[in-house]
Amino acid sequence: MAITQATHGYEELVVDDPREFRVHGSIYTDPRIFEEEMHRIFERTWIYVGHESELPAPGDYKTVLVGRQPLIVSRHEDGRIYALYNRCRHRGAVVCREERGHSNFFRCRYHNWVYANNGALIGMAQASGYPEDLDRSRYSLVPAARLESYRGLLFVNLSYDGPSLAEHLEPVRKYVDYWLGRSPSERIQVILPPHRYEYPGNWKLQAENGFDGYHGNYVHLSWQRVLQLSRESTVEEVQQYRQEGCVRGLRNGHGLLERPGSLNPASSWTARMMHRYPEYAEAMRKRFSDAELVEISARRNIFVFPNLYLFDTHIRVIVPKAVDRTEVQLYVYALEDVPEAINRSRYRGHERFYGPAGFGAPDDIEVFTEMQTGLQATGDPWNLLNRGQHRERVVDGEVIGHTTDEAPQRSFYREWRRVMSQA
Amino acid sequence: MLTASEAERFLIQEARLLDERRFDEWEALFTDDAVYWVPMDPDRDPTDSVSIIYDDRKRLHERVYRLTRTPVLDQNPPSRTVRIVANVEVEPVDGTGEQRVRCNQLIAEMRPGGPGQAGLNSPRWLAARCEYRLRPVDGQWRIAFKKVVLLDSDQAQYNLSFIP
Ligand code: FES
Ligand SMILES: [Fe+2]
Repeated sequence: MAITQATHGYEELVVDDPREFRVHGSIYTDPRIFEEEMHRIFERTWIYVGHESELPAPGDYKTVLVGRQPLIVSRHEDGRIYALYNRCRHRGAVVCREERGHSNFFRCRYHNWVYANNGALIGMAQASGYPEDLDRSRYSLVPAARLESYRGLLFVNLSYDGPSLAEHLEPVRKYVDYWLGRSPSERIQVILPPHRYEYPGNWKLQAENGFDGYHGNYVHLSWQRVLQLSRESTVEEVQQYRQEGCVRGLRNGHGLLERPGSLNPASSWTARMMHRYPEYAEAMRKRFSDAELVEISARRNIFVFPNLYLFDTHIRVIVPKAVDRTEVQLYVYALEDVPEAINRSRYRGHERFYGPAGFGAPDDIEVFTEMQTGLQATGDPWNLLNRGQHRERVVDGEVIGHTTDEAPQRSFYREWRRVMSQA
Repeated sequence: MLTASEAERFLIQEARLLDERRFDEWEALFTDDAVYWVPMDPDRDPTDSVSIIYDDRKRLHERVYRLTRTPVLDQNPPSRTVRIVANVEVEPVDGTGEQRVRCNQLIAEMRPGGPGQAGLNSPRWLAARCEYRLRPVDGQWRIAFKKVVLLDSDQAQYNLSFIP
């Protein structure tokens, strides 16, 4: 890689000081660092590319960018899912232009080479121009180095090196399981199309915001007023709620913001739904113990390094486009085997807060643009992420902090520094 | 019952209320059972999918309340908009007294700010196909349904909280 000679020592850009953890502003503004992120993070760690429910039938496919490389994720007639580089083996045209769809093959439009959904080359136009004994199996669409699923969540790794998906996810796995547990069959179904928004700012601004419990009372005061208008809760009640729970910084760069679980319908969404829909309660009780239900009913924003969030209504994918341009995709999902009314109210609740015209998310986006502008000022180039360092505690390898502390951000940047420092 | 030029006059007045940020008056144009819909995919049932906006009357009121009476960040500074309404067509909706009105809209939007502020100072253009259902209530036309299908409705959008 040509640009590994860049001048940055990542050890110096993320300073893991025990009292003043800080990151250098150039990590949000320097295009050379962005280039290296594409190579070192997005092209050699586990990157989420979709959920199996998006490709239910053989022939279903979607196209994605992993870093900046175009890939096709496709379900073949053998029922298996393949991740293939979207590049014709002849002279490099893409073989698929659609965002998603259904097809029995991928045809390159330049000279009409045809590939099966598993990438096999199955047709060459005017084949007499090649020797009869040409070994076509050498010219399949190239598969991504690794494709693995964790309970329907599909991840690609463009490198053969490094930990398995199971090893990567190990510190966050139990929280992913609890997240799925709000469905009594522990299954979700992604609802298309996703919400998509874009902002003129760096991708890490969104990454470090989704588990930030410090900003809510200020950035989302407007939202709290709307809740108060509809008499759902007073501003004081929401601000009290925002003090409850904790943040967790996990190994491998993962982290989460957590509100406590409860079997009391007054204090958790899951318990409230179980109270309102007896058939849901019955199915949940059959599947889970009370202790498990308490964990399941905890509300968590779960971050999976480097660019994936699991929220109560949606799967959030952060797509870096340039050092100062980011797209965010919110894939709302249905919980399977729950009453229809539960899912519908989840969709309406999601629309109310999220998306480009929601009552909450645009306020966050606004702040990202304010940061991107402010970070151009380099009088003191450091951003502080030291909130709560003096009061965090470590339990079973998890760094646990007050709900407004920056423990998960520190986990993120420690892993960022580790991955970026590997040549 | 409603000619194309009368419909056009109604839509131009609606556009003026939004451009002048007279959101309370704009809200008053809607019937009590109104729906305001900005889909990502207009062919999907909005009940069982997710939209950019899918407001019933209560949510529409929240939207206006948020814009006008809460410390909202993403509309401070507020958007300036210029709306152009064109290609107006009218057809009656059988047996209801309602009129279906279709039009195209071009919305230019910009938020002003200091030098170098990301996201501010540059105009953007939104093109949309719109559909309304207008209903006569006490001798006034009111909006029972408004759908705004952006040209790039399924693409990534910057904030749309100014009311498209
Ligand atoms: S580039 Fe694809 S067939 Fe020639
Ligand atoms: Fe937020």
